[in-house]
Amino acid sequence: MIIILIFPLFLAGGISFTDYNLGNKSLEWIGLENYEKMFSRKTYVKMIWATATYVIVVVPISVVLGLCAAMLLNSLRFGADIYKTIFFLPVMATLLAMAIAWEFTLHPTLGIVNSFLANGCGGAREFIFGFHWLPWVDSQQSWYHVACANNMDFPYWLKQKNTAIWTICFIGIWQAFGFNMVLYLAGLTGIPRELYQAAEMDGAKSTWEQFKLVTWPMLGPTTLFVVTITTIRTFQVFDTIEILTKGGPSKTTYVMMYAIFEKAIQQNLTSIGAAITVVFIGFILILTFFQRYIIEKRVHY
Amino acid sequence: MQAKQYIGESWKHGILIIGAILVLLPFYMMVSMSLKSQQEIQSISGGLIGAQEVQTFPVCVKTGYSEETCTTKPYIYNYWFAFEKAPIPRYLMNGVIVTLSIFIIQVLVALPCAYALAKLRFYGREFVFSMVLFCLLIPVHGIALPLYVMLAQAGLVDTYSALILPWTISVFGIFLMRQFFMTVPDELIDAARMDGMGEYSIVWKVMLPTAIPALLAFAIFSVVAHWNDYFWPRMVITGNRDLFTPPLGIREFRGGIDSDEFGPMMASIVTVTVPLIVAFIIAQKRFIEGITLTGMK
Repeated sequence: MIIILIFPLFLAGGISFTDYNLGNKSLEWIGLENYEKMFSRKTYVKMIWATATYVIVVVPISVVLGLCAAMLLNSLRFGADIYKTIFFLPVMATLLAMAIAWEFTLHPTLGIVNSFLANGCGGAREFIFGFHWLPWVDSQQSWYHVACANNMDFPYWLKQKNTAIWTICFIGIWQAFGFNMVLYLAGLTGIPRELYQAAEMDGAKSTWEQFKLVTWPMLGPTTLFVVTITTIRTFQVFDTIEILTKGGPSKTTYVMMYAIFEKAIQQNLTSIGAAITVVFIGFILILTFFQRYIIEKRVHY
Repeated sequence: MQAKQYIGESWKHGILIIGAILVLLPFYMMVSMSLKSQQEIQSISGGLIGAQEVQTFPVCVKTGYSEETCTTKPYIYNYWFAFEKAPIPRYLMNGVIVTLSIFIIQVLVALPCAYALAKLRFYGREFVFSMVLFCLLIPVHGIALPLYVMLAQAGLVDTYSALILPWTISVFGIFLMRQFFMTVPDELIDAARMDGMGEYSIVWKVMLPTAIPALLAFAIFSVVAHWNDYFWPRMVITGNRDLFTPPLGIREFRGGIDSDEFGPMMASIVTVTVPLIVAFIIAQKRFIEGITLTGMK
């Protein structure tokens, strides 16, 4: 029974490992040609670059934010449930819808963010967001001041080459950290109170020392799990890219899932799509085996 | 000591409130835009709900409706026009049909499989289970393209089957239920066998009731994932509006009205997002438990 059920999965895997030209009626063996194309063309180099940037930025930040939020909520006396609900909302909401909502929030002329920034020229907002409070920032040269001086020339966020990928990353973090927070909250409740008392007796008085001695090691398995699942999810980013940037401007947000979709479905180049798929699955499997390896080595007490 | 604690507590709240504002910002924008008129949206005025002045909407008149129908308050107009322009109830229905059928078939498949893996002794059981474990590692999105090719070959693109079939075998569901069934005592099953029950009726009459909590968690996980899924429907549904799931509907709306009017577009987005959010707020304990349980394995 199960063999029949799992069979399609394996067949699917099998197809992706051949490089036939699917879609056409005639099938032709072209060997490694697709892979050669993939590693020599600029587009695909940019694709790897965009995917790597996204994963490397989103995973650590959303995990750390999730952990911080969980620890903060855990130490609150009241109101923790409200924050928990709010921070979890992005996980539940349809990502596609929220992507469009973000698009308008960050819209250069209609968006609430840029109008908020424009109204703050010369005031406290310029001081805070222009980083004038940092000793090494010249208040006349800060990005905020320059934008105010140049007729409110604030970033176009999603439409601009040097900000698009970061904006997409921001939306990714916004969506992911609530999930991590909830997992960490569950992890935190599993730490016995006696351990903290024992740590205090051993001289770990400050919160930071207790965190280093008790919380962080005890959260080891949770962290490992959270990192793995977030990484796999971020690798699969698609919705925000498709609806907001279509891989642009100039391929700075051309991530793998979108590349597969564009090549295989829209341009009907199935074989190239399959080649990208294989590389994609390769990445994920390496990551997962790496995780298993760490589990066996480290997370035992 | 008391004062110090208060200070500590307030800066924590301060940070969390700033975080909450950032998290809620797009939700605010979404709701606000769905209530305001086009002029208010473009001039970024009117706060959350706008002035709600009765006015005639030019786009509506251009579309061919009478001036009377088109003269109303912005929030009524936005929602009315959104439903007029696109078959939103149809999209929502599709969403319900697809998510529910996926879930039901997943359960029909996963429960017997999990029972066999957990409680029956048969040749090759360990092998089959290791297969299940291996399949858990395969990213769903990764095999989307070969699946698409298979469906295309079978001529199933643009059908409900294309939306439902690939997800009916949830390896994850099998794994989750198997772990749960392992904890059910063997005596219970032996007793049922003594009473003359067949293996199938044991699955549905004995195992199912004990598995309700795990099943509920899995239901939440499955429904949330497939209601919000955009990638797969986008691949297999190419043009047939009758098959659009809610996210596809949103996409179409954005493409269609983009330059004219934002109010009705946002109204449609709110309509699609609301069901899950309301369900979440009503049963948030269950939701969070469900997601963490399935997350933590």
